[in-house]
Amino acid sequence: MRIAVCRPQVPFVYGGAELMADQLVAELAKRGHEAETVSIPFKWYPGTRVLDQAFLWRLVDLTESDGRPIDRVIATKFPAYCVRHPNKVVWVLHQFRQAYDYDRTELGQFSEAPEDRAAIRAVERLDRTALGEARKVFATSRNVADRLARFTGVHAEVLPHPPQQLAFRTADPEPFVLSVNRLDPAKRIDLLIEAAKLDRSLRVVIAGEGPDRARLERLAAGLNGQIEFAGRVDDERLVDLYARCLAVFYAPVDEDFGMVPYEAFLSAKPVVTTEDAGGPLEIVHDRETGVVVAPEASALAQACAYLAGHLEEAKEWGRAGRAVAERVTWDVCLDALLA
Amino acid sequence: MRVAYYSPMPPSRSGIADYSALLLPALRERVEEIVVAQPGRRAPHADVAIYHVGNDPDAHGWIVDALRRRPGVVVLHEFVLHHLISGITLGRGDARAYFDAMERELGVVGRLLALGVADNLLPLLWETQPERFPLAGTILDLAQGLIVHSHYVEQRVREAGYAGPIWRVPHPAWPEPPLERLELAGEPLVGCFGYLNVNKRIPQLLEAFALLRRYRPGAKLLLVGAEAERFDLDRRVERLGLDAGGLVRRPYVDESELWSLMAACDVLVNLRSPTMGETSGSVIRGLSLGKPMLVSDVGWFAELPDGVALRIPVDEYEVPTIAAALELAADHAAELGVAAREYVRREHDLARSADGYAKALEEAAGNEAVADAVLLRIAEAAAEVGLDDAPELARAARAAGIV
Repeated sequence: MRIAVCRPQVPFVYGGAELMADQLVAELAKRGHEAETVSIPFKWYPGTRVLDQAFLWRLVDLTESDGRPIDRVIATKFPAYCVRHPNKVVWVLHQFRQAYDYDRTELGQFSEAPEDRAAIRAVERLDRTALGEARKVFATSRNVADRLARFTGVHAEVLPHPPQQLAFRTADPEPFVLSVNRLDPAKRIDLLIEAAKLDRSLRVVIAGEGPDRARLERLAAGLNGQIEFAGRVDDERLVDLYARCLAVFYAPVDEDFGMVPYEAFLSAKPVVTTEDAGGPLEIVHDRETGVVVAPEASALAQACAYLAGHLEEAKEWGRAGRAVAERVTWDVCLDALLA
Repeated sequence: MRVAYYSPMPPSRSGIADYSALLLPALRERVEEIVVAQPGRRAPHADVAIYHVGNDPDAHGWIVDALRRRPGVVVLHEFVLHHLISGITLGRGDARAYFDAMERELGVVGRLLALGVADNLLPLLWETQPERFPLAGTILDLAQGLIVHSHYVEQRVREAGYAGPIWRVPHPAWPEPPLERLELAGEPLVGCFGYLNVNKRIPQLLEAFALLRRYRPGAKLLLVGAEAERFDLDRRVERLGLDAGGLVRRPYVDESELWSLMAACDVLVNLRSPTMGETSGSVIRGLSLGKPMLVSDVGWFAELPDGVALRIPVDEYEVPTIAAALELAADHAAELGVAAREYVRREHDLARSADGYAKALEEAAGNEAVADAVLLRIAEAAAEVGLDDAPELARAARAAGIV
């Protein structure tokens, strides 16, 4: 089959969404399909600019290329899923959340001006049109599927995607909690730093880069080596950090899916998250595969201290997580996407 | 976004005033600022205005006047507005405006009929057959967009040639107040609430109830509400041989007693024909209390699903059908009640209605600006590559659902 995998690309930013689409192309190719990533630079602000982007995708003709038909399009994100194709399958990582649950929060972008409010409604209409014309809609988590149903009335089948395929391994836990994430306010890494301030025995390693780094470093100032900012790490170092850590912290606000818990689980490590984390709660179950606490620094500090004091339980929960993660495979995903 | 809100408000005694009192707090949570307009006062400055239009000229005349000065979103609570239009035209001594409204609806024939009414040669059409001459067109011409409560009104409006945007927003249900437990006899106790007139099919209900009493001598009919002029309930009851023991009358009750009386009934009846396109707050209240409900199979009432309400066709078998439905409803009160409550919870949720209003207002206020902004950028880009047919681009964008 000739398959175009459509994803937007924020120039100079490469994260989980981009990784997932590129892996999908690689896995399709492994199975003998002719697959390629199709991408358009994405700029979603200010205001109505986001609609221009949808229009760009709408203009793209992917029915054929170089005289040969393209059999299927798999789109992963807004506005890429606005592309037209008779065999369009959408695997929704997330909608344009600024128009939905982020609206009127600090993560939103739209003001109370009539033009901004109407732009939100235009995104809603566009989602209903673009997703409604798809042959099938999948969502990477129950959380994403529920949001789709609530906001657009679109039914999506839940289909989690596997994390990046690294040589995950496990080792005896060392006394540090690992954060692997883009340094962005929505990821709430500040919560972990605040927890470290409350428990001076808690060591933290923060892997990743992002616009919130300077603020986080200021927040961690004075903790004298308790917090390590590792920056962007290569695959080998990432696998090593996962293998050696006590647990992995992952608590964005109402996250769509999140590959980090799967990567932690494949390293047989428990995940520490919060009650309002959204998608991760579908696999991180309190005292089964990790710890789920209130989104407060003190609760987080207590949870980390508990894990440090109960290593056998931490290992057991990590192993239980691994069993969960191992069930999510590319074979399962591709069978569904190509059915 | 600032919204100017035109509606009768309590203490005005109207269903639409109650409706707005229920809706406004929920809407205020979703819209930056709402200013409630007052009759006789200066129009509030706003990005968009919303006008609640019903059929009562006393309650809504000033709202139509404001609508004429500034178009906006109209909430069409009824489709038949003949009484309103006659009130704000003939009622104000402006016969020409009434002729124009009738001509808009029916052409020359309409104008001639209007002349006949104005000259007292024909009966008053708003009293005798308003459903044949709804006169909604006068309002539709002024509406930038419409909010309706039912598919029925949406369809009638489209048939009347309205081409603007329509948002269908279900009528919200009132929260259940604390109820006083009333012990009223009746096996079953059948309740009918509202103005007693022929339009509410009270004659047919009385006949059907007389039939029911043959099989269920313990049945009682509770009639709550004032009697229309010349309706003569006593004579009708006497003629049907219904003894006083079968009938309970409560002409006037306050709000809390009304709820308690509804809750005391085993079956509720809310028939209507012809319909004016209205949505019945009373039916929604009854369903929210989990009561089996009989309605006429017309207008919005016909949209109530099977299993939630028993719909009675308005035909030559209406009376025996009502009688049979009363028995059926009494025998299956529990199942019907559960389905009714669930339906109201799902379809008439206040938050959902308020979301629908917010969406309508946001689209009405900002859609044009969004379309202008996006199309301008697209047209600029097109012009730069030598294409300057902006209307064609606009059509392409609209067809794609972008604006």
